[in-house]
Amino acid sequence: MTGYLLRRALQAAAVLLAITAAAFGLFYAAPSDPALIACGPKCDTAQVEAVRHSMGLDQPLTGQYLDYLRGLVAGRTISDVDGSPIDCTAPCLGYSYTLHQPVLDAIGDRFPVTLSLAGGALVVIVVLGIGAGFTAALRRGTAADRLLSGFTLVGASVQIYFLGYAVQYLLVYKTGLVPLPGYAPLADGPGPWAAGLLLPWLVLGFVNAAVFARLTRSQTLETMHEGYVRTARGKGLTALRAHVKYTARGAAGPLVQLLGLEAGALFGGAFITETVFGLGGVGKLAVDSVVQNDLPTVVGTVLFAAFFVVVFVALADLVVARLDPRVRLA
Amino acid sequence: MAEEHSGGPPRDTLEAPSHGPSDTPSRGPFATACRAFRRDRTGMAALAVAVFCALLAAAAPLVTALYGKDPTSHYGQQTPGLLSAEGLPVLPNGGISADHWFGIEPGLGRDVFAQLVYGMRTSLLVALASVAVIAVAGVVLGVTVGYLSGLADRAFTFVCNALLGFPTLLLLLALSPVIQTRFVDPGENEPAWMQFTSLILVFSAFGWVPLAMVLRTAVRALREREFVEAARAVGASRRHVVLRELLPNVWAPVLVHITLAVPGIVTAEAALSFLGVGINEPVPDWGRMISRGSEVFYDDPTYMVFPGAAILVFVLAFNLLGDAVRDALDPRIAR
Repeated sequence: MTGYLLRRALQAAAVLLAITAAAFGLFYAAPSDPALIACGPKCDTAQVEAVRHSMGLDQPLTGQYLDYLRGLVAGRTISDVDGSPIDCTAPCLGYSYTLHQPVLDAIGDRFPVTLSLAGGALVVIVVLGIGAGFTAALRRGTAADRLLSGFTLVGASVQIYFLGYAVQYLLVYKTGLVPLPGYAPLADGPGPWAAGLLLPWLVLGFVNAAVFARLTRSQTLETMHEGYVRTARGKGLTALRAHVKYTARGAAGPLVQLLGLEAGALFGGAFITETVFGLGGVGKLAVDSVVQNDLPTVVGTVLFAAFFVVVFVALADLVVARLDPRVRLA
Repeated sequence: MAEEHSGGPPRDTLEAPSHGPSDTPSRGPFATACRAFRRDRTGMAALAVAVFCALLAAAAPLVTALYGKDPTSHYGQQTPGLLSAEGLPVLPNGGISADHWFGIEPGLGRDVFAQLVYGMRTSLLVALASVAVIAVAGVVLGVTVGYLSGLADRAFTFVCNALLGFPTLLLLLALSPVIQTRFVDPGENEPAWMQFTSLILVFSAFGWVPLAMVLRTAVRALREREFVEAARAVGASRRHVVLRELLPNVWAPVLVHITLAVPGIVTAEAALSFLGVGINEPVPDWGRMISRGSEVFYDDPTYMVFPGAAILVFVLAFNLLGDAVRDALDPRIAR
């Protein structure tokens, strides 16, 4: 297991490094001029050149990338548009000349929103997705199975940018059953926090739970007829105990991997959900930075999101290796 | 994007049916699958909806000519009495009338039905072109790497893992303007075909990964089988083994994958347009219709219902179709 752990950690680190290079190369190789954007429309040529120099954009791309990596590990000092130095502590993701703050600070300000949204949505995904999928598989062919399968099919096909507005119109605007979605810090009390996030949790959770439920159902159906489950039944376990103890473990692998991917994607910012419900999280920051051509923030949020995806996928792989000896010995 | 789950475990798709004792006259695997598909009523209904959508999209100019409206005219501003002073439709339910079946757009006053039909064209064009690129790239890379193994296999796995580590939709979002500005001078209006090309490029760049990974696994299992060994033993070239022995045995997962990739790309394209970096005006687009609808949805919810429902029906049909294709091709399901 230790060997597998090391190999997997090394692989994750290498993938992350490759992603930083790719993201940096793609965006900084783009023709839109960050210095021009940072300086604003009123700058003359000399000022733009000064900004270009203070941002380090006149250096070759490899040098800029190495500076970026150094900042990521050890922090660095970046000059602002007017040349004044800004201390960017590690892990430095660059400095946004649009927001006038280090990218990591901008992300940090908004991360509680994303964390709250993702955490609650993950609970909904796991409870609803696994519950519905497992129930449907154990009652295959019954009315309950057909009802649940119909629900999950709709859930897997409906889009957040439609469902989100539809439920807001019906539940908030028309009937007032649910308070207007918004973010209140958890420190101000759990009541307003949960009330403001209730609808985003349910919508984001429902849509993702549907995919999860479909996979749970098919995985459970595939596993429950395996020989070892029959053996467990044969030695006298009740159906439910046999399925919980043996089927669930055998079926869990792909589910854990999907959960890792989902969790990684959600913690990096659920930008459609945040846009639909007007929540100012990391996802909204990413969308705004793309629209405003704020390149440092774009690269920073992409790397931030990629970090979560890579880490959670690796964590999921470790859990799978723990569950299934065939994986770690391969 | 619901395209991740089309793979499943590697399976021997083509062995069982033709040898089954119940199939007395030996039938090819394709004929067996077709027969199974035709018996699946949900699948046939889904296929009918998908074909209907494709025909509607292909015949969009004809349909709107018969209907008598086009997607770009500002009917609400030309004809008094259709839009109020605030730019909202005067008639109830978004201005639905005999003239405008699905109502008119708030503000500009364009015809919703015509926009919807042309929007389908936009979605399908991007999706089908991307899927074509994905299928070719995925098959070539997956089959080649699966057969080669060794260093090529390691490099491939690493690249795939790196690409999967990217937050896909966020990267699509971030990349679309980058690609667009790469080929267009600042201040110039970007031609529509350029937006289409850049979207197709972006979707293809990431879309081939899951398909290639599934095929790699499938080919690795196949290449150890007796019939491949036999072909090699009688001196078949590498080219023959790959093209004539391996390739014909992997079309089933390819078919399932590309069927399920279509709704994934349609929704991703709509999401990009919804967020403001997809297809620009004046080309009709479902995602941009939803985005416009979200600005006025408390006053005129109807405008958002039509594109939202259209995406839902379209995606539902393709998801059901993908499931049916998978079931029809799976020999383990008893017929």
